[in-house]
Amino acid sequence: MVDLFDWDRFFTNIPQIVAYLPVTFKIVFYATLFGVILALVVAVIRIKKIPILQQVAGIYVSFMRGTPMLVQLLVVFYGIPIVMQQLFNINVNRWDKIIFVYITYILNQGAFLSEIFRCSILAIPTGQLEAAYSVGLTQFQAFRRIILPQAVRVAVPSFGSDFIGLFQNTSLAFLIGVVDIMGRAKTIGTATKHVLEAYVFIAIFFIIISLLVKGAFYLLDKKLAYGR
Amino acid sequence: MGFNFIYFYDSVRSGIEYLPNTFELTFIPILVGLCLGILIAVIRVYRIPFFAPLLAVLITLYQGIPLVVALMIYHLLFMATFNNFAAVLHLSISMADINTIWIGIFALSLHATCYMEESIKGAFFSVDQGQYEAGYSVGLTRLQTLRRIIIPQVIPVALPMLTNNIVGTIKGSSIVMVIGITEVLAGSVVPASKTYAFFEGYIAAALIYWIFTILVEKFARRIEKRGDKYRRNLV
Repeated sequence: MVDLFDWDRFFTNIPQIVAYLPVTFKIVFYATLFGVILALVVAVIRIKKIPILQQVAGIYVSFMRGTPMLVQLLVVFYGIPIVMQQLFNINVNRWDKIIFVYITYILNQGAFLSEIFRCSILAIPTGQLEAAYSVGLTQFQAFRRIILPQAVRVAVPSFGSDFIGLFQNTSLAFLIGVVDIMGRAKTIGTATKHVLEAYVFIAIFFIIISLLVKGAFYLLDKKLAYGR
Repeated sequence: MGFNFIYFYDSVRSGIEYLPNTFELTFIPILVGLCLGILIAVIRVYRIPFFAPLLAVLITLYQGIPLVVALMIYHLLFMATFNNFAAVLHLSISMADINTIWIGIFALSLHATCYMEESIKGAFFSVDQGQYEAGYSVGLTRLQTLRRIIIPQVIPVALPMLTNNIVGTIKGSSIVMVIGITEVLAGSVVPASKTYAFFEGYIAAALIYWIFTILVEKFARRIEKRGDKYRRNLV
């Protein structure tokens, strides 16, 4: 039996991998921040049924939901340099690879979150909006005070599972050469020829993250359960 | 540079050639996921002692592991231990005889099982407790109640979620590329190794996956509509 797993190596690996955690958190942070903004725009376009933009948004959401994350990442990684070169004559070969990861994850989150937002807004009965208008609220007031608080409550559970999915998807970024925790595990593997410990630690890390996020969203969901 | 339609066409053809591998990587995990998912969901719904809490913990933990990490670990374990394992069992096969696609199928099956179990369990809980009691009160056994009363009501609720799980498995199957299995994604860029037309190759892969998932969703909507006929007074 070859020595496959060694606790000493496991513990020496931990600080080396933990040092790259900020990369993972940064991807999640940017993807959520800009993803939410993009998703709101897309959701409003689709709910208001703005002509042409609505069709474009529909195709965008369908593409993002219908193709694997890995394919999107590779399309962006190989596509953006070509598009930038052709349209704007900008050479992006010197861009940091992480930028392509940000772009992909923002686009992906924008599509998935827009569906969540759209469905939660549409889940509120029309009667609520009519009631708001009948007491003299403007369109914006009605949305902000009546629809939004109810829609947020509907959206929270789906947003939580989407968020866990986003964390897990960051493990794909190393495939285009970004050094995040997975990329670091790979380099540890090349340097020491022992990589199992690193992967096991990453698996444990992701399990802990998913439990924490699940717990946080469970508490949030409970807190938002007012008036039920 | 630019978009070359001839290379794109080559890539689409090459990708479609490897579609059977993607089918294999999708259908076997879906089948395994459905069977095990239903079994585990029933164990958890009936709160069978010992197994129900154990499986609940295992599934919650396993769901936290990204597919690519699981795949890497299984691949490593397989590479490192298979020959010893075969020697212990006196099998005359070695690592080279086993197609690595089975590692992909194994990892995808476990993931599909976890996610499908959650969907099915959710659907079971959507059926009112009174339905079980009504079944028992007219003298049906546990199994009869399950088969004739509960499951027909579980199916229409579970279908949309299972469709999502199936689409997720199709998309997840692209990740097996990392352990060197050639499926649609890796297949689409086979011509690119000569022409360097990687962009065209990945666009081709995206197109094939897109069409595949749209067809699956269309087909699923049709089945869902058929199921909706029987649930007038639900919702």
